[in-house]
Amino acid sequence: MNSPARKAANAFLGPLDEDGRVPAHQQTRVSAFLMSVHGALARQLAASLPITLQNSAQVEMHAQFCRQIEFLSMLVRATSWVPDPMLPMLLWQWETAWWPRPVLCVADQTQARMIDLAAFNHALHAVIRPAALLPEAIDAMDPFAQAMRHIEFESGRLMQAQIIFLKSPQFHHVRHEVAAAVERRHEQVREHLSSMLLGLEVETAGRHLIPTAYHLHVKAAMEAAAAAANAAAAAVAETSEAEKR
Amino acid sequence: MPILTRGRRRIRYELDSPAEGPADGPVFVLVNGLTQYIELWEPYRYMLVAKGFRVATFDLLGQGISDKPSLHITQDDQVAVLHDLIAELGGGPIFLAGISFGGVIALRYAIAHSDTIAGLVAISSFAELPPQLYLLGSVMRTGLILGGTSFLMDMLFPMNLSNEWLAHQMDALEMAKRRGWLLNDAYALQNLMESFLEFEPMTPQLSSIRVPTMVLNGEFDFLTPRSLQESLRVNIPDTELVFVPRAYHAFTLEKPVLTADYLARFARDVMSGRWKGKKTIWIGPEEPGGDFTPFPADFDHMRAIPVRHDKPQAAELEMANSGETTPR
Repeated sequence: MNSPARKAANAFLGPLDEDGRVPAHQQTRVSAFLMSVHGALARQLAASLPITLQNSAQVEMHAQFCRQIEFLSMLVRATSWVPDPMLPMLLWQWETAWWPRPVLCVADQTQARMIDLAAFNHALHAVIRPAALLPEAIDAMDPFAQAMRHIEFESGRLMQAQIIFLKSPQFHHVRHEVAAAVERRHEQVREHLSSMLLGLEVETAGRHLIPTAYHLHVKAAMEAAAAAANAAAAAVAETSEAEKR
Repeated sequence: MPILTRGRRRIRYELDSPAEGPADGPVFVLVNGLTQYIELWEPYRYMLVAKGFRVATFDLLGQGISDKPSLHITQDDQVAVLHDLIAELGGGPIFLAGISFGGVIALRYAIAHSDTIAGLVAISSFAELPPQLYLLGSVMRTGLILGGTSFLMDMLFPMNLSNEWLAHQMDALEMAKRRGWLLNDAYALQNLMESFLEFEPMTPQLSSIRVPTMVLNGEFDFLTPRSLQESLRVNIPDTELVFVPRAYHAFTLEKPVLTADYLARFARDVMSGRWKGKKTIWIGPEEPGGDFTPFPADFDHMRAIPVRHDKPQAAELEMANSGETTPR
């Protein structure tokens, strides 16, 4: 895992360049990370697919495989690549992290592998939100930004097959063990994602504290209304006091 | 950033207190709706503290920056978190208020732990899932799956807020949605929604709520309509049902100054012994500090057009409201 040398400062990618685009070195690192994780999933899905699809689950798995290939192809073409001397080491760390880790809660080894594959699939589509890394001011027509939005949008749908599988009645007796396997994959993906972003001086944890224009607008309106209410109450009290006198 | 730990889970919360006043003064605990997070209660933190209350806000499991369990979140887990938070607040009367999804959690909490709170405010809440609400919830879940969090935001704003508010906020609406989209993760929202898949009506347990309860219902709320609020009024022993004029489902966002005024007056009435309860029905004021008016006893409060009650029911309501023509 790369340890950040400098303190992270931004909640989003950027600052944007003169054309309103994410700097090329950030595009390179983010796309390399996404290609690593989606590539690993594509390989694991391919290894699990038979030549002839024999049931609906395998049809869904094939669709998922094709979607991962689409992401990889899109990232290759939509990213402004520049040399990144850190990438060889980072890629080694990432690739080893994504190796299959069959769960121990079921005796059937095929099922154990499938649970881990679904957990990994769920984790990467749930935890990684590429579009949420983009600052508000990004050029809407930028291909990198569009690729990030497309991956995030499709992720919500891709997750569904995993949710149905992981919550299916066949695993009710090992519900907690399955949930723990998914949690482990979530933590792993989150850890590598955060570390990668910290290497780009991006820290998303404090996003809730960033005042947006909307937030400031509402706050101003609320304070004005409260001030008006207080003034009205004071006027009523003053009138009542005057009447007493 | 204060963090409450429950097992492996971390819950973010905030506790605001008046600059002067006892450390164990009265406290409001505010429970988020489905897509909400602590920052949306900021007006309440500001105004209730100014009125002498402590205010505790928190992100439920799966919300904001509290932990987001990956696969399962039960409503019992949320009640357990709320119980831990309330235990942190020390002495002093505790008033629990929740909106919509948060109202369900608050009702569940009050059913199980009435003895730990002094009063309950159920805002746009419900104890049952009749077909309309169940199907609307299913549509929201499908919308989330197919269109993501941004689609859900697009749908919820016009469903739950008035034309007047939307027209005023039109320029800032995209920013409002972006903030909600940033802080909400689709999988966590889906888990929160799916905590209703095994929902059993709470109506039979509502009689266990032994504290004064104010039920707030937006006049134009069609997501959790009057029939659901009426069920709370009838089945919780010590209630007042208050209609919030010209309000939709999410009036806590739209009318924070007014709603904070309702909350503060409810708590003061309970603490001073002025609370009336008795399943009475009121029309709330449109401005902070205004009068609460008894709903006309001879008209059916369940109708949107003025239909008269049959005589025995009218007499019963008139008796409950008797002598209450002045502001509370």
